[in-house]
Amino acid sequence: MDQKTSERISNIVKFIILLVCGSLLMMPFIWVVSVGFDRTANITMPFPPRLIPETISSFNYGIVFENGRLIQSYINSGIVTTSSVFLQVSASLLAGYAFSKGNFKYKRLLFILVLCTLMIPMEPRLIPLYTLFNSFSLLNTFWPLILPTVINGMLIFLCKQFFDQLPTTLREAAQIDGAGEFRIFFTVYLPLAGPIAATMVILSFIWSWNDFMWPLVVLNNQDLHTVPLYLASFSLENGTSLGGLTMALATVSILPIVVLYLFLQRYIIQSIALSGVKGE
Amino acid sequence: MVKEKLQINENGVENTVTINDDVETIKSKKRKAAFTWYIFLLPSFIGILLFMVYPIMESFRLSFFRSNGTMETFIGLQNFQRVLTSNTFWNTVWNTFFIGFFQIFITIPLGFIFASLINSIRRGQNFFKVIYFLPNVTSIVAAAMIFQFVLHPEMGVANYILDALGLPSSTWFSDPSTAKWGVILLAVWHWIGFVIIICLANLQAISPEMYEAAKIDGASGLQQWLFITIPNMSGTFAFLLITGWIGSLQRFNEVYVLGGPNGSPARSIQTMGAFIYERGFTGFEFGIASAATYIMFVIILIFTFINLRVSKMQL
Repeated sequence: MDQKTSERISNIVKFIILLVCGSLLMMPFIWVVSVGFDRTANITMPFPPRLIPETISSFNYGIVFENGRLIQSYINSGIVTTSSVFLQVSASLLAGYAFSKGNFKYKRLLFILVLCTLMIPMEPRLIPLYTLFNSFSLLNTFWPLILPTVINGMLIFLCKQFFDQLPTTLREAAQIDGAGEFRIFFTVYLPLAGPIAATMVILSFIWSWNDFMWPLVVLNNQDLHTVPLYLASFSLENGTSLGGLTMALATVSILPIVVLYLFLQRYIIQSIALSGVKGE
Repeated sequence: MVKEKLQINENGVENTVTINDDVETIKSKKRKAAFTWYIFLLPSFIGILLFMVYPIMESFRLSFFRSNGTMETFIGLQNFQRVLTSNTFWNTVWNTFFIGFFQIFITIPLGFIFASLINSIRRGQNFFKVIYFLPNVTSIVAAAMIFQFVLHPEMGVANYILDALGLPSSTWFSDPSTAKWGVILLAVWHWIGFVIIICLANLQAISPEMYEAAKIDGASGLQQWLFITIPNMSGTFAFLLITGWIGSLQRFNEVYVLGGPNGSPARSIQTMGAFIYERGFTGFEFGIASAATYIMFVIILIFTFINLRVSKMQL
Protein backbone atom coordinates (compact mmCIF):
# COMPACT_ATOMS: atom_id res chain seq x y z
CA MET A 1 0.00 0.00 0.00
CA ASP A 2 1.53 3.30 -1.00
CA GLN A 3 1.52 6.35 1.19
CA LYS A 4 -1.25 8.20 -0.61
CA THR A 5 -3.85 5.48 -0.20
CA SER A 6 -2.94 4.90 3.43
CA GLU A 7 -3.28 8.60 4.06
CA ARG A 8 -6.65 8.64 2.34
CA ILE A 9 -7.86 5.69 4.40
CA SER A 10 -6.74 7.27 7.67
CA ASN A 11 -8.52 10.44 6.60
CA ILE A 12 -11.75 8.58 6.00
CA VAL A 13 -11.46 6.71 9.31
CA LYS A 14 -10.92 9.98 11.20
CA PHE A 15 -13.87 11.54 9.39
CA ILE A 16 -16.14 8.65 10.37
CA ILE A 17 -15.02 8.75 14.02
CA LEU A 18 -15.73 12.47 14.14
CA LEU A 19 -19.09 12.01 12.47
CA VAL A 20 -20.21 9.28 14.89
CA CYS A 21 -19.08 11.16 18.00
CA GLY A 22 -20.52 14.39 16.62
CA SER A 23 -23.95 12.84 16.15
CA LEU A 24 -23.75 11.41 19.67
CA LEU A 25 -23.06 14.95 20.89
CA MET A 26 -25.97 16.30 18.83
CA MET A 27 -28.31 13.53 19.98
CA PRO A 28 -29.90 15.51 22.87
CA PHE A 29 -30.78 18.35 20.49
CA ILE A 30 -32.34 16.07 17.90
CA TRP A 31 -34.32 14.16 20.51
CA VAL A 32 -35.53 17.37 22.16
CA VAL A 33 -36.93 18.74 18.91
CA SER A 34 -38.62 15.44 18.11
CA VAL A 35 -40.27 15.06 21.54
CA GLY A 36 -41.42 18.68 21.43
CA PHE A 37 -43.50 17.90 18.34
CA ASP A 38 -44.95 14.74 19.89
CA ARG A 39 -48.56 15.20 20.99
CA THR A 40 -48.55 12.27 23.43
CA ALA A 41 -45.28 13.11 25.18
CA ASN A 42 -46.91 14.99 28.06
CA ILE A 43 -48.62 11.87 29.31
CA THR A 44 -45.98 9.23 28.65
CA MET A 45 -42.70 9.91 26.96
CA PRO A 46 -42.40 7.85 23.80
CA PHE A 47 -40.31 4.79 24.59
CA PRO A 48 -38.32 3.42 22.85
CA PRO A 49 -37.24 6.87 21.69
CA ARG A 50 -38.16 7.62 18.11
CA LEU A 51 -36.85 10.18 15.68
CA ILE A 52 -40.18 10.97 14.00
CA PRO A 53 -43.12 11.41 16.40
CA GLU A 54 -46.16 9.18 15.86
CA THR A 55 -48.55 12.11 15.86
CA ILE A 56 -46.77 15.26 14.82
CA SER A 57 -48.43 18.33 16.27
CA SER A 58 -47.51 21.84 17.28
CA PHE A 59 -49.67 21.52 20.38
CA ASN A 60 -46.78 21.95 22.83
CA TYR A 61 -45.40 24.95 21.00
CA GLY A 62 -48.87 26.51 21.08
CA ILE A 63 -48.94 26.26 24.88
CA VAL A 64 -45.40 27.56 25.24
CA PHE A 65 -46.30 30.74 23.40
CA GLU A 66 -49.83 31.01 24.74
CA ASN A 67 -48.88 31.59 28.33
CA GLY A 68 -46.79 34.62 27.39
CA ARG A 69 -44.16 34.17 30.07
CA LEU A 70 -41.57 32.92 27.61
CA ILE A 71 -41.95 35.96 25.38
CA GLN A 72 -41.88 38.23 28.43
CA SER A 73 -38.68 36.58 29.62
CA TYR A 74 -37.17 37.07 26.18
CA ILE A 75 -37.97 40.76 26.31
CA ASN A 76 -36.48 40.98 29.81
CA SER A 77 -33.32 39.17 28.78
CA GLY A 78 -33.11 41.42 25.73
CA ILE A 79 -33.30 44.61 27.80
CA VAL A 80 -30.78 43.40 30.38
CA THR A 81 -28.33 42.00 27.85
CA THR A 82 -28.28 45.00 25.50
CA SER A 83 -27.79 47.42 28.38
CA SER A 84 -25.08 45.31 29.99
CA VAL A 85 -23.23 44.80 26.73
CA PHE A 86 -23.31 48.50 25.97
CA LEU A 87 -22.14 49.53 29.43
CA GLN A 88 -19.49 46.84 29.75
CA VAL A 89 -18.00 47.26 26.29
CA SER A 90 -17.86 51.08 26.50
CA ALA A 91 -16.25 51.10 29.92
CA SER A 92 -13.75 48.41 28.93
CA LEU A 93 -12.80 50.18 25.69
CA LEU A 94 -12.06 53.39 27.60
CA ALA A 95 -10.08 51.63 30.31
CA GLY A 96 -8.25 49.31 27.93
CA TYR A 97 -7.21 52.27 25.80
CA ALA A 98 -5.99 54.23 28.81
CA PHE A 99 -3.93 51.29 30.05
CA SER A 100 -2.40 50.85 26.61
CA LYS A 101 -1.66 54.40 25.48
CA GLY A 102 -2.02 56.43 28.65
CA ASN A 103 0.79 57.97 30.61
CA PHE A 104 -0.14 58.52 34.22
CA LYS A 105 0.84 57.74 37.76
CA TYR A 106 0.05 54.31 39.24
CA LYS A 107 -0.72 52.89 35.79
CA ARG A 108 0.88 49.52 36.54
CA LEU A 109 -0.63 49.27 39.98
CA LEU A 110 -4.11 50.07 38.73
CA PHE A 111 -3.75 47.52 35.95
CA ILE A 112 -2.73 44.85 38.43
CA LEU A 113 -5.84 45.75 40.41
CA VAL A 114 -7.92 45.16 37.28
CA LEU A 115 -6.29 41.76 36.79
CA CYS A 116 -7.00 40.91 40.43
CA THR A 117 -10.73 41.28 39.76
CA LEU A 118 -10.41 38.22 37.50
CA MET A 119 -9.69 36.12 40.55
CA ILE A 120 -12.76 37.21 42.50
CA PRO A 121 -15.74 34.90 42.11
CA MET A 122 -19.35 35.98 42.41
CA GLU A 123 -20.17 34.09 45.62
CA PRO A 124 -18.36 36.27 48.21
CA ARG A 125 -19.98 39.36 46.68
CA LEU A 126 -23.50 37.96 46.55
CA ILE A 127 -24.81 38.98 49.96
CA PRO A 128 -23.26 42.49 50.23
CA LEU A 129 -24.42 43.31 46.71
CA TYR A 130 -27.88 42.07 47.59
CA THR A 131 -28.05 44.28 50.68
CA LEU A 132 -26.51 47.20 48.76
CA PHE A 133 -29.19 47.13 46.09
CA ASN A 134 -31.81 46.43 48.71
CA SER A 135 -30.87 49.60 50.58
CA PHE A 136 -31.53 51.59 47.39
CA SER A 137 -34.81 49.66 46.90
CA LEU A 138 -33.53 48.38 43.58
CA LEU A 139 -34.25 44.70 44.07
CA ASN A 140 -36.75 43.44 41.52
CA THR A 141 -35.57 45.93 38.93
CA PHE A 142 -33.05 45.39 36.14
CA TRP A 143 -30.48 47.77 37.65
CA PRO A 144 -28.70 45.17 39.80
CA LEU A 145 -28.21 43.03 36.71
CA ILE A 146 -26.90 45.86 34.57
CA LEU A 147 -24.78 48.12 36.79
CA PRO A 148 -22.25 45.61 38.20
CA THR A 149 -21.33 44.47 34.69
CA VAL A 150 -19.54 47.82 34.21
CA ILE A 151 -16.31 46.22 35.42
CA ASN A 152 -14.91 43.28 33.50
CA GLY A 153 -11.23 42.56 33.89
CA MET A 154 -11.14 40.10 30.99
CA LEU A 155 -12.50 42.61 28.48
CA ILE A 156 -10.17 45.38 29.70
CA PHE A 157 -7.26 42.98 29.33
CA LEU A 158 -8.22 41.92 25.79
CA CYS A 159 -8.79 45.53 24.83
CA LYS A 160 -5.42 46.67 26.17
CA GLN A 161 -3.70 43.87 24.26
CA PHE A 162 -5.40 45.05 21.07
CA PHE A 163 -4.49 48.72 21.47
CA ASP A 164 -0.91 47.70 22.30
CA GLN A 165 -0.61 46.43 18.74
CA LEU A 166 -1.67 49.76 17.23
CA PRO A 167 1.21 52.20 16.64
CA THR A 168 1.68 55.18 18.95
CA THR A 169 2.68 57.36 15.99
CA LEU A 170 -1.02 57.82 15.20
CA ARG A 171 -1.39 59.59 18.51
CA GLU A 172 1.60 61.82 18.00
CA ALA A 173 0.32 63.01 14.64
CA ALA A 174 -3.06 63.91 16.13
CA GLN A 175 -1.41 65.57 19.11
CA ILE A 176 0.59 67.87 16.84
CA ASP A 177 -2.72 68.88 15.29
CA GLY A 178 -3.78 69.89 18.78
CA ALA A 179 -6.37 67.18 19.41
CA GLY A 180 -7.20 66.36 23.04
CA GLU A 181 -7.06 62.85 24.47
CA PHE A 182 -10.77 62.22 24.06
CA ARG A 183 -10.76 63.43 20.47
CA ILE A 184 -7.74 61.24 19.70
CA PHE A 185 -9.53 58.26 21.19
CA PHE A 186 -12.84 58.80 19.43
CA THR A 187 -11.55 59.89 16.01
CA VAL A 188 -8.28 57.97 15.65
CA TYR A 189 -8.31 54.78 17.73
CA LEU A 190 -11.96 53.87 18.16
CA PRO A 191 -12.59 53.56 14.40
CA LEU A 192 -9.72 51.04 14.26
CA ALA A 193 -11.08 49.02 17.17
CA GLY A 194 -13.87 47.32 15.20
CA PRO A 195 -12.50 43.75 15.43
CA ILE A 196 -11.86 43.84 19.17
CA ALA A 197 -15.16 45.61 19.82
CA ALA A 198 -16.99 42.84 17.95
CA THR A 199 -15.21 40.21 20.04
CA MET A 200 -16.06 42.08 23.21
CA VAL A 201 -19.72 42.37 22.24
CA ILE A 202 -19.91 38.64 21.54
CA LEU A 203 -18.26 37.60 24.80
CA SER A 204 -20.23 40.12 26.81
CA PHE A 205 -23.48 39.00 25.18
CA ILE A 206 -22.84 35.33 25.99
CA TRP A 207 -21.95 36.08 29.64
CA SER A 208 -24.89 38.37 30.21
CA TRP A 209 -27.46 36.19 28.44
CA ASN A 210 -26.46 33.09 30.41
CA ASP A 211 -26.05 34.80 33.78
CA PHE A 212 -28.01 32.88 36.38
CA MET A 213 -26.99 32.96 40.03
CA TRP A 214 -27.11 36.72 40.55
CA PRO A 215 -30.44 37.26 38.70
CA LEU A 216 -31.86 34.39 40.76
CA VAL A 217 -30.94 36.27 43.93
CA VAL A 218 -32.29 39.69 42.99
CA LEU A 219 -35.37 38.91 40.89
CA ASN A 220 -38.28 37.36 42.77
CA ASN A 221 -40.92 38.93 40.60
CA GLN A 222 -41.83 36.41 37.90
CA ASP A 223 -42.69 39.15 35.42
CA LEU A 224 -39.06 40.26 35.46
CA HIS A 225 -37.52 36.80 35.00
CA THR A 226 -34.88 36.45 32.32
CA VAL A 227 -34.88 33.38 30.04
CA PRO A 228 -32.61 31.17 32.22
CA LEU A 229 -34.64 32.05 35.33
CA TYR A 230 -37.91 31.19 33.64
CA LEU A 231 -36.52 27.87 32.41
CA ALA A 232 -35.20 27.00 35.86
CA SER A 233 -38.46 27.84 37.63
CA PHE A 234 -40.45 25.87 35.06
CA SER A 235 -38.11 22.92 35.40
CA LEU A 236 -38.18 22.93 39.22
CA GLU A 237 -41.99 23.20 39.26
CA ASN A 238 -42.66 20.40 36.81
CA GLY A 239 -39.67 18.08 37.14
CA THR A 240 -39.95 15.38 34.51
CA SER A 241 -43.73 15.30 34.43
CA LEU A 242 -44.47 17.34 31.31
CA GLY A 243 -42.00 15.97 28.79
CA GLY A 244 -43.41 17.36 25.59
CA LEU A 245 -43.99 20.82 26.97
CA THR A 246 -40.57 21.05 28.60
CA MET A 247 -38.85 19.99 25.41
CA ALA A 248 -40.81 22.48 23.32
CA LEU A 249 -39.84 25.18 25.79
CA ALA A 250 -36.19 24.13 25.69
CA THR A 251 -36.22 24.17 21.89
CA VAL A 252 -37.77 27.61 21.66
CA SER A 253 -35.38 29.01 24.26
CA ILE A 254 -32.29 27.61 22.56
CA LEU A 255 -33.24 28.19 18.94
CA PRO A 256 -32.56 31.94 18.59
CA ILE A 257 -29.11 31.53 20.11
CA VAL A 258 -28.33 28.58 17.85
CA VAL A 259 -29.45 30.51 14.76
CA LEU A 260 -27.36 33.51 15.82
CA TYR A 261 -24.44 31.16 16.42
CA LEU A 262 -24.75 29.56 12.99
CA PHE A 263 -24.66 32.97 11.34
CA LEU A 264 -21.81 34.36 13.42
CA GLN A 265 -19.98 31.09 14.11
CA ARG A 266 -16.68 32.24 12.65
CA TYR A 267 -16.57 35.33 14.83
CA ILE A 268 -17.88 33.59 17.92
CA ILE A 269 -15.35 30.78 17.69
CA GLN A 270 -12.58 33.29 17.05
CA SER A 271 -13.63 35.33 20.08
CA ILE A 272 -13.67 32.31 22.36
CA ALA A 273 -10.30 31.17 21.04
CA LEU A 274 -8.88 34.66 21.55
CA SER A 275 -10.05 34.86 25.15
CA GLY A 276 -8.38 31.49 25.74
CA VAL A 277 -5.16 32.04 23.86
CA LYS A 278 -4.61 35.49 25.31
CA GLY A 279 -5.53 34.20 28.71
CA GLU A 280 -2.43 32.09 28.69
CA MET B 1 5.40 81.67 23.74
CA VAL B 2 8.78 82.03 22.08
CA LYS B 3 8.19 85.63 21.15
CA GLU B 4 7.24 86.57 24.69
CA LYS B 5 10.42 85.02 25.99
CA LEU B 6 12.57 87.05 23.62
CA GLN B 7 10.86 90.30 24.61
CA ILE B 8 11.38 89.88 28.30
CA ASN B 9 14.87 88.55 27.83
CA GLU B 10 16.40 92.00 28.52
CA ASN B 11 15.46 91.79 32.16
CA GLY B 12 17.24 88.93 33.89
CA VAL B 13 15.00 88.62 36.93
CA GLU B 14 11.80 88.54 34.97
CA ASN B 15 13.34 85.99 32.68
CA THR B 16 13.80 83.34 35.36
CA VAL B 17 10.24 83.92 36.51
CA THR B 18 8.95 83.28 33.00
CA ILE B 19 10.98 80.10 32.72
CA ASN B 20 9.53 78.98 36.02
CA ASP B 21 6.09 79.85 34.67
CA ASP B 22 6.83 77.79 31.61
CA VAL B 23 7.84 74.85 33.71
CA GLU B 24 4.66 75.35 35.71
CA THR B 25 2.46 75.31 32.62
CA ILE B 26 4.14 72.20 31.29
CA LYS B 27 3.67 70.55 34.65
CA SER B 28 0.05 71.57 34.91
CA LYS B 29 -0.52 70.45 31.35
CA LYS B 30 0.97 67.12 32.23
CA ARG B 31 -1.17 66.94 35.33
CA LYS B 32 -4.20 67.82 33.24
CA ALA B 33 -3.30 65.09 30.75
CA ALA B 34 -2.92 62.58 33.57
CA PHE B 35 -6.26 63.76 34.90
CA THR B 36 -7.87 63.05 31.52
CA TRP B 37 -6.54 59.48 31.70
CA TYR B 38 -8.20 59.01 35.07
CA ILE B 39 -11.51 60.02 33.48
CA PHE B 40 -11.01 57.17 30.99
CA LEU B 41 -10.67 54.83 33.94
CA LEU B 42 -13.49 56.32 35.99
CA PRO B 43 -16.39 54.01 35.00
CA SER B 44 -14.33 50.86 35.51
CA PHE B 45 -12.92 51.95 38.85
CA ILE B 46 -16.27 53.09 40.23
CA GLY B 47 -17.32 49.54 39.32
CA ILE B 48 -14.29 48.00 41.04
CA LEU B 49 -14.83 49.98 44.24
CA LEU B 50 -18.58 49.55 44.43
CA PHE B 51 -19.05 46.03 43.09
CA MET B 52 -15.73 44.32 43.91
CA VAL B 53 -13.80 45.93 46.77
CA TYR B 54 -16.77 46.95 48.92
CA PRO B 55 -18.61 43.60 48.74
CA ILE B 56 -15.45 41.59 49.41
CA MET B 57 -14.70 43.62 52.54
CA GLU B 58 -18.31 43.74 53.66
CA SER B 59 -18.75 39.98 53.42
CA PHE B 60 -15.51 39.58 55.40
CA ARG B 61 -17.04 41.75 58.11
CA LEU B 62 -20.35 39.90 57.94
CA SER B 63 -18.64 36.58 58.46
CA PHE B 64 -17.98 37.59 62.09
CA PHE B 65 -21.61 38.47 62.76
CA ARG B 66 -24.85 36.64 63.18
CA SER B 67 -26.99 38.45 60.65
CA ASN B 68 -30.21 38.08 58.72
CA GLY B 69 -29.83 41.37 56.87
CA THR B 70 -31.47 43.57 59.50
CA MET B 71 -30.31 42.33 62.92
CA GLU B 72 -26.59 41.88 63.58
CA THR B 73 -24.64 40.59 66.56
CA PHE B 74 -20.89 40.09 66.72
CA ILE B 75 -20.03 36.45 67.37
CA GLY B 76 -16.35 36.24 66.49
CA LEU B 77 -15.27 33.07 64.75
CA GLN B 78 -18.40 31.08 65.50
CA ASN B 79 -19.61 31.18 61.88
CA PHE B 80 -16.35 29.73 60.64
CA GLN B 81 -16.42 27.13 63.36
CA ARG B 82 -19.97 26.14 62.48
CA VAL B 83 -19.23 25.87 58.77
CA LEU B 84 -15.98 23.97 59.25
CA THR B 85 -17.59 21.45 61.59
CA SER B 86 -20.66 21.02 59.43
CA ASN B 87 -20.89 17.68 57.67
CA THR B 88 -23.24 19.23 55.13
CA PHE B 89 -20.54 21.70 54.14
CA TRP B 90 -17.80 19.08 53.79
CA ASN B 91 -20.19 16.97 51.77
CA THR B 92 -20.60 19.88 49.33
CA VAL B 93 -16.82 20.26 49.14
CA TRP B 94 -16.52 16.56 48.30
CA ASN B 95 -19.28 16.78 45.68
CA THR B 96 -17.72 19.85 44.08
CA PHE B 97 -14.27 18.28 43.83
CA PHE B 98 -15.60 14.91 42.70
CA ILE B 99 -17.62 16.40 39.84
CA GLY B 100 -14.83 18.82 38.93
CA PHE B 101 -12.13 16.16 38.92
CA PHE B 102 -13.93 13.83 36.54
CA GLN B 103 -15.21 16.64 34.35
CA ILE B 104 -11.69 17.96 33.86
CA PHE B 105 -9.81 14.70 33.48
CA ILE B 106 -12.34 13.33 31.02
CA THR B 107 -12.88 16.48 28.98
CA ILE B 108 -9.32 17.72 28.46
CA PRO B 109 -7.87 14.49 26.98
CA LEU B 110 -11.03 13.74 25.02
CA GLY B 111 -11.32 17.29 23.72
CA PHE B 112 -7.65 17.30 22.75
CA ILE B 113 -8.06 14.06 20.80
CA PHE B 114 -11.08 15.46 18.96
CA ALA B 115 -9.21 18.69 18.26
CA SER B 116 -6.26 16.73 16.85
CA LEU B 117 -8.59 14.69 14.65
CA ILE B 118 -10.38 17.80 13.40
CA ASN B 119 -7.05 19.50 12.79
CA SER B 120 -5.71 16.59 10.73
CA ILE B 121 -8.60 16.00 8.33
CA ARG B 122 -8.59 17.78 5.00
CA ARG B 123 -12.25 18.52 4.48
CA GLY B 124 -15.03 19.46 6.86
CA GLN B 125 -12.84 21.09 9.53
CA ASN B 126 -15.19 24.02 9.91
CA PHE B 127 -18.28 21.81 9.90
CA PHE B 128 -17.00 19.76 12.83
CA LYS B 129 -15.85 22.86 14.69
CA VAL B 130 -19.37 24.27 14.50
CA ILE B 131 -21.01 20.97 15.51
CA TYR B 132 -18.73 20.25 18.45
CA PHE B 133 -18.95 23.77 19.81
CA LEU B 134 -22.75 23.90 19.66
CA PRO B 135 -23.40 22.48 23.18
CA ASN B 136 -21.22 25.21 24.63
CA VAL B 137 -23.40 27.99 23.19
CA THR B 138 -26.56 26.56 24.75
CA SER B 139 -27.10 27.96 28.19
CA ILE B 140 -26.22 25.47 30.90
CA VAL B 141 -29.66 25.98 32.42
CA ALA B 142 -31.44 24.84 29.26
CA ALA B 143 -28.93 22.01 28.92
CA ALA B 144 -29.64 20.82 32.47
CA MET B 145 -33.35 20.91 31.74
CA ILE B 146 -32.82 18.73 28.68
CA PHE B 147 -30.48 16.32 30.47
CA GLN B 148 -33.10 15.61 33.11
CA PHE B 149 -34.98 13.86 30.34
CA VAL B 150 -32.04 12.53 28.35
CA LEU B 151 -30.76 10.78 31.48
CA HIS B 152 -34.15 9.74 32.79
CA PRO B 153 -33.74 6.11 33.94
CA GLU B 154 -36.93 4.81 32.31
CA MET B 155 -37.76 7.07 29.41
CA GLY B 156 -34.42 8.68 28.65
CA VAL B 157 -32.60 8.25 25.39
CA ALA B 158 -29.20 7.73 27.06
CA ASN B 159 -30.16 4.49 28.80
CA TYR B 160 -31.83 3.31 25.62
CA ILE B 161 -28.60 3.74 23.68
CA LEU B 162 -26.54 2.11 26.44
CA ASP B 163 -28.92 -0.84 26.42
CA ALA B 164 -28.82 -1.11 22.66
CA LEU B 165 -25.02 -1.20 22.76
CA GLY B 166 -25.13 -3.87 25.44
CA LEU B 167 -23.63 -1.54 28.05
CA PRO B 168 -24.93 -1.28 31.62
CA SER B 169 -27.48 1.53 32.05
CA SER B 170 -27.63 3.78 35.09
CA THR B 171 -30.15 5.30 37.48
CA TRP B 172 -28.57 8.77 36.97
CA PHE B 173 -30.34 11.57 38.84
CA SER B 174 -32.88 9.34 40.55
CA ASP B 175 -30.33 7.78 42.90
CA PRO B 176 -27.85 9.57 45.19
CA SER B 177 -25.09 7.13 44.29
CA THR B 178 -25.23 7.89 40.55
CA ALA B 179 -26.52 11.49 40.46
CA LYS B 180 -23.00 12.96 40.40
CA TRP B 181 -22.23 11.00 37.23
CA GLY B 182 -25.22 12.60 35.58
CA VAL B 183 -23.81 16.04 36.39
CA ILE B 184 -20.38 14.95 35.15
CA LEU B 185 -21.81 13.76 31.85
CA LEU B 186 -23.67 17.06 31.42
CA ALA B 187 -20.53 19.01 32.32
CA VAL B 188 -18.39 17.06 29.85
CA TRP B 189 -20.99 17.50 27.11
CA HIS B 190 -21.18 21.22 27.75
CA TRP B 191 -17.46 21.99 28.19
CA ILE B 192 -15.91 19.82 25.51
CA GLY B 193 -16.60 22.33 22.73
CA PHE B 194 -14.66 25.00 24.60
CA VAL B 195 -11.71 22.64 25.12
CA ILE B 196 -11.72 21.72 21.43
CA ILE B 197 -11.77 25.34 20.25
CA ILE B 198 -8.92 26.33 22.56
CA CYS B 199 -6.88 23.27 21.57
CA LEU B 200 -7.48 23.87 17.86
CA ALA B 201 -6.38 27.49 18.08
CA ASN B 202 -3.15 26.43 19.75
CA LEU B 203 -2.59 23.39 17.53
CA GLN B 204 -2.63 25.69 14.53
CA ALA B 205 -0.02 27.89 16.18
CA ILE B 206 2.60 25.11 16.31
CA SER B 207 5.19 25.82 13.66
CA PRO B 208 4.83 23.47 10.66
CA GLU B 209 8.62 23.38 10.28
CA MET B 210 8.88 21.10 13.30
CA TYR B 211 6.64 18.57 11.63
CA GLU B 212 8.58 18.83 8.38
CA ALA B 213 11.84 18.23 10.19
CA ALA B 214 10.31 15.22 11.96
CA LYS B 215 8.98 13.85 8.68
CA ILE B 216 12.43 14.04 7.14
CA ASP B 217 13.74 12.09 10.11
CA GLY B 218 11.12 9.45 9.34
CA ALA B 219 8.74 10.02 12.27
CA SER B 220 5.28 8.50 11.85
CA GLY B 221 2.08 10.48 12.36
CA LEU B 222 1.58 9.03 15.83
CA GLN B 223 5.19 9.73 16.80
CA GLN B 224 4.84 13.33 15.64
CA TRP B 225 1.69 13.66 17.73
CA LEU B 226 3.36 12.19 20.82
CA PHE B 227 6.70 13.98 20.61
CA ILE B 228 5.90 17.28 18.95
CA THR B 229 2.24 18.09 19.40
CA ILE B 230 1.73 17.09 23.02
CA PRO B 231 4.84 18.83 24.45
CA ASN B 232 3.93 21.96 22.51
CA MET B 233 0.45 21.95 23.99
CA SER B 234 1.53 21.91 27.65
CA GLY B 235 0.75 25.62 28.06
CA THR B 236 -2.72 25.06 26.66
CA PHE B 237 -3.36 22.14 28.99
CA ALA B 238 -2.24 24.25 31.94
CA PHE B 239 -4.60 27.02 30.90
CA LEU B 240 -7.51 24.59 30.56
CA LEU B 241 -6.68 22.92 33.85
CA ILE B 242 -6.68 26.22 35.73
CA THR B 243 -9.76 27.77 34.12
CA GLY B 244 -11.51 24.40 34.34
CA TRP B 245 -10.89 24.12 38.07
CA ILE B 246 -11.86 27.71 38.78
CA GLY B 247 -15.11 27.13 36.89
CA SER B 248 -15.85 23.78 38.53
CA LEU B 249 -15.27 25.00 42.05
CA GLN B 250 -17.94 27.63 41.45
CA ARG B 251 -20.44 25.19 39.95
CA PHE B 252 -24.01 26.19 40.74
CA ASN B 253 -26.37 26.75 37.80
CA GLU B 254 -26.85 23.19 36.58
CA VAL B 255 -27.04 21.58 40.01
CA TYR B 256 -29.63 24.16 41.04
CA VAL B 257 -31.80 23.27 38.05
CA LEU B 258 -31.30 19.53 38.55
CA GLY B 259 -31.63 19.31 42.32
CA GLY B 260 -32.74 22.64 43.72
CA PRO B 261 -30.79 24.61 46.36
CA ASN B 262 -30.19 21.50 48.49
CA GLY B 263 -28.94 19.35 45.62
CA SER B 264 -31.39 16.48 45.81
CA PRO B 265 -31.43 13.51 45.76
CA ALA B 266 -30.15 13.47 49.36
CA ARG B 267 -27.72 16.40 48.86
CA SER B 268 -25.73 14.18 46.50
CA ILE B 269 -25.16 16.97 43.96
CA GLN B 270 -25.14 20.00 46.26
CA THR B 271 -22.03 22.06 45.52
CA MET B 272 -20.27 24.72 47.62
CA GLY B 273 -22.07 27.42 45.61
CA ALA B 274 -25.42 25.78 46.29
CA PHE B 275 -24.62 25.56 50.02
CA ILE B 276 -23.96 29.30 50.07
CA TYR B 277 -27.14 30.02 48.16
CA GLU B 278 -29.17 27.75 50.43
CA ARG B 279 -27.86 29.32 53.64
CA GLY B 280 -27.87 32.88 52.33
CA PHE B 281 -31.09 33.11 50.39
CA THR B 282 -33.42 30.39 51.58
CA GLY B 283 -32.37 30.54 55.24
CA PHE B 284 -31.20 34.18 55.29
CA GLU B 285 -28.22 33.26 57.49
CA PHE B 286 -25.96 35.92 56.02
CA GLY B 287 -23.16 35.41 58.52
CA ILE B 288 -22.87 31.66 57.94
CA ALA B 289 -23.10 32.13 54.19
CA SER B 290 -20.38 34.81 54.23
CA ALA B 291 -18.06 32.62 56.26
CA ALA B 292 -18.68 29.80 53.78
CA THR B 293 -17.89 32.07 50.82
CA TYR B 294 -14.57 32.99 52.41
CA ILE B 295 -13.71 29.37 53.03
CA MET B 296 -14.62 28.62 49.42
CA PHE B 297 -12.60 31.60 48.21
CA VAL B 298 -9.55 30.38 50.11
CA ILE B 299 -10.03 26.86 48.75
CA ILE B 300 -10.14 28.26 45.22
CA LEU B 301 -7.01 30.39 45.76
CA ILE B 302 -5.00 27.56 47.29
CA PHE B 303 -6.10 25.16 44.61
CA THR B 304 -5.32 27.59 41.79
CA PHE B 305 -1.90 28.15 43.32
CA ILE B 306 -1.27 24.39 43.46
CA ASN B 307 -2.42 24.06 39.84
CA LEU B 308 -0.04 26.82 38.81
CA ARG B 309 2.85 25.09 40.55
CA VAL B 310 1.95 21.66 39.17
CA SER B 311 1.70 22.92 35.62
CA LYS B 312 4.79 25.13 36.14
CA MET B 313 3.04 27.95 34.34
CA GLN B 314 4.74 31.32 34.34
CA LEU B 315 2.40 34.20 35.06
